Amino acid sequence: MKVTVERAQLLKSLSHVHRVVERRNTIPILGNVLIRAENARLSLKATDLDLEVTETLAAEVGTAGSTTVPAHMFYDIVRKLPDGSQIVLEADGDRSVMAIRAGRSRFTLQTLPENDFPDLAAGEMTHSFALPASDVKRLIDRTQFAISTEETRYYLNGIYLHAAGTATAATLRAVATDGHRLAQIDLKLPKGADGMPGVIVPRKTVGEVQRLIEDLEAEITIELSQGKIRFTLGNVVLTSKLIDGTFPDYGRVIPQNNDKELVIDKKDFENAVDRVSTISSERGRAVKLALSAGKLVLSVTNPDSGSATEELEVEYASDALDIGFNSRYLLDIAAQIEGEVAVLRLADPGSPTLVQDKDAKGALYVLMPMRV
Amino acid sequence: METDGPVTDDVAPETRQRKIIHIDMDAFYASVEQRDNPELRGKPVAVGGSRERGVVAAASYEARKFGVRSAMPSVTAKRQCPDLIFVKPRFEVYKTISQQIREIFAEHTPIVEPLSLDEAYLDVTENLQGIRLARDIALTIRAKIKDETGLNASAGISYNKFLAKLASDHRKPNGQYVISPEMGPAFVETLPVAKFHGIGPATAAKFNTLGIQTGLDIRNQSLTFLAAHFGKAGTYYYWISRGIDERPVRANRIRKSIGAENTFFDDLTEFNAMVAALQPLVDKVWQHCANTGNRGRTVTLKVKFADFGIMSRSQSMPTAVSNRGELERVAISLLERSMPLPKAVRLLGVSLSTLQTNGDDAQSQFQLPI
Repeated sequence: MKVTVERAQLLKSLSHVHRVVERRNTIPILGNVLIRAENARLSLKATDLDLEVTETLAAEVGTAGSTTVPAHMFYDIVRKLPDGSQIVLEADGDRSVMAIRAGRSRFTLQTLPENDFPDLAAGEMTHSFALPASDVKRLIDRTQFAISTEETRYYLNGIYLHAAGTATAATLRAVATDGHRLAQIDLKLPKGADGMPGVIVPRKTVGEVQRLIEDLEAEITIELSQGKIRFTLGNVVLTSKLIDGTFPDYGRVIPQNNDKELVIDKKDFENAVDRVSTISSERGRAVKLALSAGKLVLSVTNPDSGSATEELEVEYASDALDIGFNSRYLLDIAAQIEGEVAVLRLADPGSPTLVQDKDAKGALYVLMPMRV
Repeated sequence: METDGPVTDDVAPETRQRKIIHIDMDAFYASVEQRDNPELRGKPVAVGGSRERGVVAAASYEARKFGVRSAMPSVTAKRQCPDLIFVKPRFEVYKTISQQIREIFAEHTPIVEPLSLDEAYLDVTENLQGIRLARDIALTIRAKIKDETGLNASAGISYNKFLAKLASDHRKPNGQYVISPEMGPAFVETLPVAKFHGIGPATAAKFNTLGIQTGLDIRNQSLTFLAAHFGKAGTYYYWISRGIDERPVRANRIRKSIGAENTFFDDLTEFNAMVAALQPLVDKVWQHCANTGNRGRTVTLKVKFADFGIMSRSQSMPTAVSNRGELERVAISLLERSMPLPKAVRLLGVSLSTLQTNGDDAQSQFQLPI
C-alpha cells in the first residue's frame, strides 16, 4: 500500500474515527484503525465491537492495499505533523510496519493483519430515511440528558426511537428516561420510516453521532434493522448495534390530567433555582417549590450550611401546593426549553410533573418530585 | 478489584454460628491458558507481558516451583525460570468463566462476595439446596466448577471469613479444608504473622520488631497495646488472633475508590511529560464517574519511582469533585507541589475516594412507575 493524503483531511477523519477506540483494550486489534487505500480514496475504520465508524477521503493512491495501526498513536502523529503537509503512508505486505512520511519526519508503526479486524456485519437494513442534520441534533440534544446510566436496567441506557402519533399526523419520536425524569420529542415522520421497528440506540452511539454533526444544513441518512442502525453523514458512516431489550411502556407515566398550571419565565426560573441550590450539599439536592396565587417561593435548607429562599412572580391560579425537586434535574430540564416561557403542569407532591415549552414545539418532559 | 454494586447490602444475619466458604481458583489465569492450549500443559507458564516492563499476572504451578509469583516483574521471573513461557492475558475469557462460576455459587446462596474474578466468599449458613454440611456444599461446588469449566478450585470452610480464607490455602491446589470452631484458636496460634490475611510485609516486619512472631504472640498482647501500635487494625488483629472475625459476607460490596494508573515504557523526569501522562488517567477516572454517577471528594496522586519506591499525595475537597477539569487541576497541583521529584517516575496513578453516590437524595427521590 502506498498513498499520499493531505494532513488536514487525514487529521479531521482520524479525529472522527479514533474516538471510537477505547484507550485500553484487552483485544489488541480493537486498538487499531483499519486503513484501506483503493480507487483514489483512503478509508479509515475503527470499532469497539458495538459501534464502528468508517470515513472515506480523497487521496492519491500509488499502490492499493490495506493494513491496521494503533489508532491513538497514529492520530497523535498526524496531529503533530506540520499544517499543510502531504503525508505519505506506505506499508509493505511482508514487513509488519507502516511508514508515515511528511517533510523530514518519518515514523514507522507496527501493524496487525487487516484480516483480524472485526466487521460488525451489518446485514440487511430494512428501513431507510433521511433527516436534516439539525433535526437529528435536536432529537439527541433534547433527550440525551435523561438517558439512564444504571446498568441493571440496560434497556434504558439509550434513546428509544420509534414511529408514533396518529395515521394523519405520524411522528418519529425519541424518548429517554432514567426512572426519575423522562424526555420525549416528536418530529414529522420522514418518508421511508413508516413501519420501522422501535429501536434503542445506545448512549455511546448517540454521543458519537452528536459529535459528528458539523454542518446543520446537511442531510443524514438513517438505515435500520431489528439489530443495527447506520447513520451516514457525508463521507462518514457510523454503524452501531442496538440495545437488545424492550423499552417500557412510557406512555402511562406521562401525566394527562395534571390540573395545576404554572407558567414561568424560563430564564428567571433557571437563575433562581441555580442561586438557591448553591447552598445544597452533594447528598441533598432538593429544592422546595411553594406555590400560591401568582407567587412561587423556592427554598433550600441544608442542615450543614444554612438556607436560601427566593420569590418569583408567576402565573399560577390553582390551590396552594408545596412540592420538592432535585435542583439538578430542574436545571437539566430548564436547559431543554427552547422558548422563553415554560409551562409546568402539576398534580400533587408525589406525582409526576409535566414540563413543556409554552409553544409546545413537539417536546415534553416529565419529572418525578422528591420528598421534602 | 472491587465490584460495582448498588448501595443496598445483603448482609447475613449474625446471630448464630455461621458457615462460610472461601473458594479460590487454582492459578486461575494460567490454568485457563493451559486448558485452552494443550501445548502449555505441564510447562511453566506466566500470564502477563513479557516485555521489559511487564509483570506476571499469574503463574502456573510448574512456574511456581521456580519461585515465579504473581506481581513479580517479568524480567525477574525469566531469570528465576529461563524456560518460562509468557502468554498474553485474555481477560474476556477469564470474565466469562468467572461469570460461570458465580452462577454455580448462586445455586447455593445469594450471599456471595466476589473478591476478584477467581475468588469469593460464600455464606452458606442457610443454603438454597438445604445441604447440611458446608463441606459437602464445597465439594459439590468444586465438582461442578470442574465439570463446567475443566478447572480446579480449592475451598476453605470455616465459621468466619478470616479462617475460611486461611483454610482454602491449606490444601491447595485442588483441595479443601475445614477449620471447625474447636480448631480455630489453635490453628491461628502457630501461624506466623506474615501469613495472616491483611498483614503485609511492612506490618509483619513491625510485629517482628515488637517481638511478635505468631498468632499466639499476638493473642498475648492487650487490646490497648495493639490499638496503640496499629490503630484500628490493632482491634482486628486482637480478635483474629482468637479466631474471631465478625465481618459479614457482603453480597454487594460498595466501591470505595475509582482509580487508574499506568506504567511507562520509559521513566519520566519532565514535569510536562508527567502532566501529559496524567491526562488519560484523569479521562478514565472521570469516564467512570460519568458512567456510574459516583462522585468523590478526595483526589490521590500515586507515584512509583524507578526504584519501585512509592509516594502518594492526597487532597480532600470540601465537596465532591464535580467535573473533569477540577479533577485534572487537583491532580496536577498535587504533582506540582511534589516537584522536584527525587527520582525518575515509572508509574503514575490518579484515584478518587470518599465516594458519594446519590446518597440521601436517593432516599427521597420518587421513581417514575416505569
